[in-house]
Amino acid sequence: MEDDTLNPNLTESTEDASLQKKHSSMVERLSKRHQTGSDNSESSSPSFESVSSFLSRFNLLKTTIESNLAQSQSLSSQLKPHFDNIAASISDLEKLVAENSYFLPSYDVRSSLKTVSDLKQKLDNLNSQLIPKKKFAFKNKGAKKDSVFIPQQKPSTVANVVSEKTSSIAVRDSPGFRNETGQVLIQDCKGLEVGEFTVSDLDSCEVRIIGTVRALFVHRLKNCKVYVGPVMGSILIEEVEGCVFVMASHQIRIHNAKKTDFYLRVRSRPIIEDSDGVRFAPYCFTYQGIEDDLRGAALYQETGNWANVDDFKWLRAVQSPNWSVLPENERVRIVDVSNMNNGKEEI
Amino acid sequence: MGLLSIIRKIKRKEKEMRILMVGLDNSGKTTIVLKINGEDTSVISPTLGFNIKTITYQKYTLNIWDVGGQKTIRSYWRNYFEQTDGLVWVVDSSDLRRLDDCKMELDNLLKEERLSGSSLLILANKQDIKGALTPQDIAKVLNLEAMDKTRHWNIVGCSAYTGEGLLEGFDWLVQDIASRIYMLA
Ligand SMILES: Nc1nc2c(ncn2[C@@H]2O[C@H](COP(=O)(O)OP(=O)(O)O)[C@@H](O)[C@H]2O)c(=O)[nH]1
Ligand SMILES: [Mg+2]
Repeated sequence: MEDDTLNPNLTESTEDASLQKKHSSMVERLSKRHQTGSDNSESSSPSFESVSSFLSRFNLLKTTIESNLAQSQSLSSQLKPHFDNIAASISDLEKLVAENSYFLPSYDVRSSLKTVSDLKQKLDNLNSQLIPKKKFAFKNKGAKKDSVFIPQQKPSTVANVVSEKTSSIAVRDSPGFRNETGQVLIQDCKGLEVGEFTVSDLDSCEVRIIGTVRALFVHRLKNCKVYVGPVMGSILIEEVEGCVFVMASHQIRIHNAKKTDFYLRVRSRPIIEDSDGVRFAPYCFTYQGIEDDLRGAALYQETGNWANVDDFKWLRAVQSPNWSVLPENERVRIVDVSNMNNGKEEI
Repeated sequence: MGLLSIIRKIKRKEKEMRILMVGLDNSGKTTIVLKINGEDTSVISPTLGFNIKTITYQKYTLNIWDVGGQKTIRSYWRNYFEQTDGLVWVVDSSDLRRLDDCKMELDNLLKEERLSGSSLLILANKQDIKGALTPQDIAKVLNLEAMDKTRHWNIVGCSAYTGEGLLEGFDWLVQDIASRIYMLA
């Protein structure tokens, strides 16, 4: 077992621990305060729980790092320790963000992390420019990997859940619509208990899902229209193009969408990632009995979140160029399928 | 001298455990953390970056890091590996299509040297959804039997909605970590 007294990082890690403890107790107090719903302890909140004091510390450190980086060009020797120091400061900066992230607005977390990664990039560039031979990489400063763990003393607690040796299992298909072109596909979930439902590999189709499902997966759709009743859990959409979606759900994540309109009702903020040309509008689907279904799924109320889109690929405060609000005069009116209900209802 | 430093280390970690929640996005990590902490789980926005929660669990203080799973930030996971005592890998058992992706990410994560000493709890979440794979199926798909023999691991089926299985999983994790840390005490 290596000896800690020889480890120059020991004091630092002790400091980390105490910092972390401080942070822990803060989080605890904060969450207690939220739980009781009273704010009588507000006055005792320490001053560094403020965004502005975080930002000033962050910027101070950042400026120091930047000036150190700028000095690198003029240094002829001792470049390696110089870079090591900078790398350590960047790690500290990153830790500062982590320690404070629980109260920072997500924008500040994002932009701070972006700054950190930019600094790393700069350092890496300088490094390969000025010390071309050796590859430099961010290292785990601590290097204090569980030296307390002695693997052999206790047999591993391996759970014996796998009794038979089957190298791979045939993953069965979940209920859904797959591999269709130019079809109208209707699923009526009324009276059924539908768990997850998959809509994938469709071209120029119209999909209607009446009633409630627990989770919805949408994958690889082109030029489709998809109308769905309330989804109790989450919707995950990947690789769609030229589509229209009208959907209500607790959570909606959209990845790799192009030129697609979303009419949403959603309890949390919808997110997009790797998408562009996507537009958003409020939910506008109806069928007989949708009110009850929406109420049952806690989706009756309009939350306005359809317009609170987070673009995980856009880390700046200004509006993401990848999405926009669909202008009112371009929106479809209500999509009413009450009278086209699978032939079940007489017109 | 060596002994002293060991004791110091034990002191430092005595009641605190650092736990890292990881897994693909949408698997239920944030919901699980909130549920364990007895918080409202009705409105959860996808996590950008990370959340840190401190939870008192039995006689321990769990410092739970809930790291966002989006592709854009998966590379950040690495920053949370230092001093990780326990890893919780969350699987959406109803997301059959992305199981391959899930296996690949888990395999990559377990290659990390800095995580080699941490206990691994795999939560086969969303068992409440009809059509979800059982923990046994998940174990097969992820080929858990082939795991490095020195790794302490366990797989438990759960639902962050009903809360079922969560305590069983975390009890195992906390006990396993404690037994490693206190072995020397
Ligand atoms: N049915 C069901 N849905 C769940 C469960 N756990 C999480 N969810 C839902 O899955 C979605 C993703 O959860 P979240 O905690 O944000 O996932 P994360 O990205 O891993 O943090 C949310 O809509 C949750 O309500 C579960 O056990 N059962
Ligand atoms: Mg999350």
